Amino acid sequence: MTLKIYADRMSQPSRAVILFCRLNKIDFEEIRIDISKREHLSPEYQEINPMRKVPAIVDGRFKLFESHAILIYLATAFPGVADHWYPADVSKRSKIHSVLDWHHSNLRHGSMKYILHTVLAPALGVTPNPQVAVEAKKILDSSLSEIDTIWLKGSGKFLLGSYQPSIADLSLVCEIMQLEILDDEDRRRILAPYERVQKWIEATKNSTMPHFDDVHVILFKAKARLRTRQESRRIGSDVRTSYHSKM
Amino acid sequence: MATLKIYADRNSQPSRAVILFCKLNGIEFEEVKIELFKREHRSPEYAEITPMRQVPAIAHGEFKLFESHAILIYLACAFPTVAGHWYPTDLFKRAKIHSVLDWHHTNLRRGSVGYLLNAKLAPVFGLPLNPQAAAEGEKVLIASLSKIESFWLHEDGKFLLGNDQPSIADLSLLSEVMQLELLDENERSRILGPFKKVHRWIEDVKNATQPHFDDVHAVLFKTIATAKKQQVDTARS
Repeated sequence: MTLKIYADRMSQPSRAVILFCRLNKIDFEEIRIDISKREHLSPEYQEINPMRKVPAIVDGRFKLFESHAILIYLATAFPGVADHWYPADVSKRSKIHSVLDWHHSNLRHGSMKYILHTVLAPALGVTPNPQVAVEAKKILDSSLSEIDTIWLKGSGKFLLGSYQPSIADLSLVCEIMQLEILDDEDRRRILAPYERVQKWIEATKNSTMPHFDDVHVILFKAKARLRTRQESRRIGSDVRTSYHSKM
Repeated sequence: MATLKIYADRNSQPSRAVILFCKLNGIEFEEVKIELFKREHRSPEYAEITPMRQVPAIAHGEFKLFESHAILIYLACAFPTVAGHWYPTDLFKRAKIHSVLDWHHTNLRRGSVGYLLNAKLAPVFGLPLNPQAAAEGEKVLIASLSKIESFWLHEDGKFLLGNDQPSIADLSLLSEVMQLELLDENERSRILGPFKKVHRWIEDVKNATQPHFDDVHAVLFKTIATAKKQQVDTARS
């Protein structure tokens, strides 16, 4: 029975899991759970994942959620997965666990909250809260700084100074890619201080092509739609302003 | 074998989980106290151990590690005397333990820390209380306890994931729940009250980990007693 992945490619952890499978030629059936249409809240999906989040997997009768747990399961359950994704060496593996754990309350927390309370709120029916955005940005900034100075220390291009990517690189880079949804200038300003981070994003992309681009197509489509909507709102407001000024 | 050093503050939930695990498995270690209330975690010496400046952290010979879940897994794998039920080798069981440990970060821990800090502990760290953040924390905390009650604890099996014996997940999550002892009786009852399975699970984990459980939590209870006395003295004066 084929592995089933329940995912929304707008979701960072969903992308990390799909990307991992593609890179390691793990066969799967992707079942799209569209968060913007609230499909994650359906009673059917609750049977798959009672936490009502994506991603989740079903492998035969085995169900699993939480993307890090899924990545680790796939790395160990499927033959032919190269060691660098999730090394057998206990010390190396532990370091990967530590960055994956750190991620929850740092990069993910800061990035998600910031994007939600600046750009994504209207699309998800949430009232944007500028105060939350300010606090989230602080966490995002300090997380990027910690990646730049701590997690990317060492001679390799990848997290933990490794010469090859691990599941941690997939998880964290997919998170950072979500910043593409922000205004381009905002995104540039956020990433500008962190040269090592920028190089690492490129290194991870390059080592995971063409699957990286493929997995991010939907994100870039959403970005284009958002720009168009923002642009037409701006044009509409310009027209209204000029109309009123003529009155 | 190389010496294991554990840098910990027993007032910290994840510190307690790591120490308890070692005691239960007869793992010898040197405990290096890093007192959060005295801001010892901010010292330059401690930054050499962990640049994140949090507790717990370990040094095992030259190898250093932080993040309590990563530490628990490392210890379970590195020390041969550790019984299998703490971190099973079976891939499916292990994956489920990873999923509850991951869930914990943004649910029980986030809710509990958010609530306790903003409703009670902030002044200790020189911060103002924040009723709005406390209310949000409480929401997440109660939702998390509800998920432990309805999903992580099964009808059969005393421990998380319906297991017959405790795992590292039970140590981590119970240490977190024990932090609610910092609340007064009424508040704690109000929050924990409805969750019968959670109450039973707390007792089951305690019983399965005595006498080390009481020993490891002695510092927390002392902190609580000191805080209560201070409250009474302040009220009197």
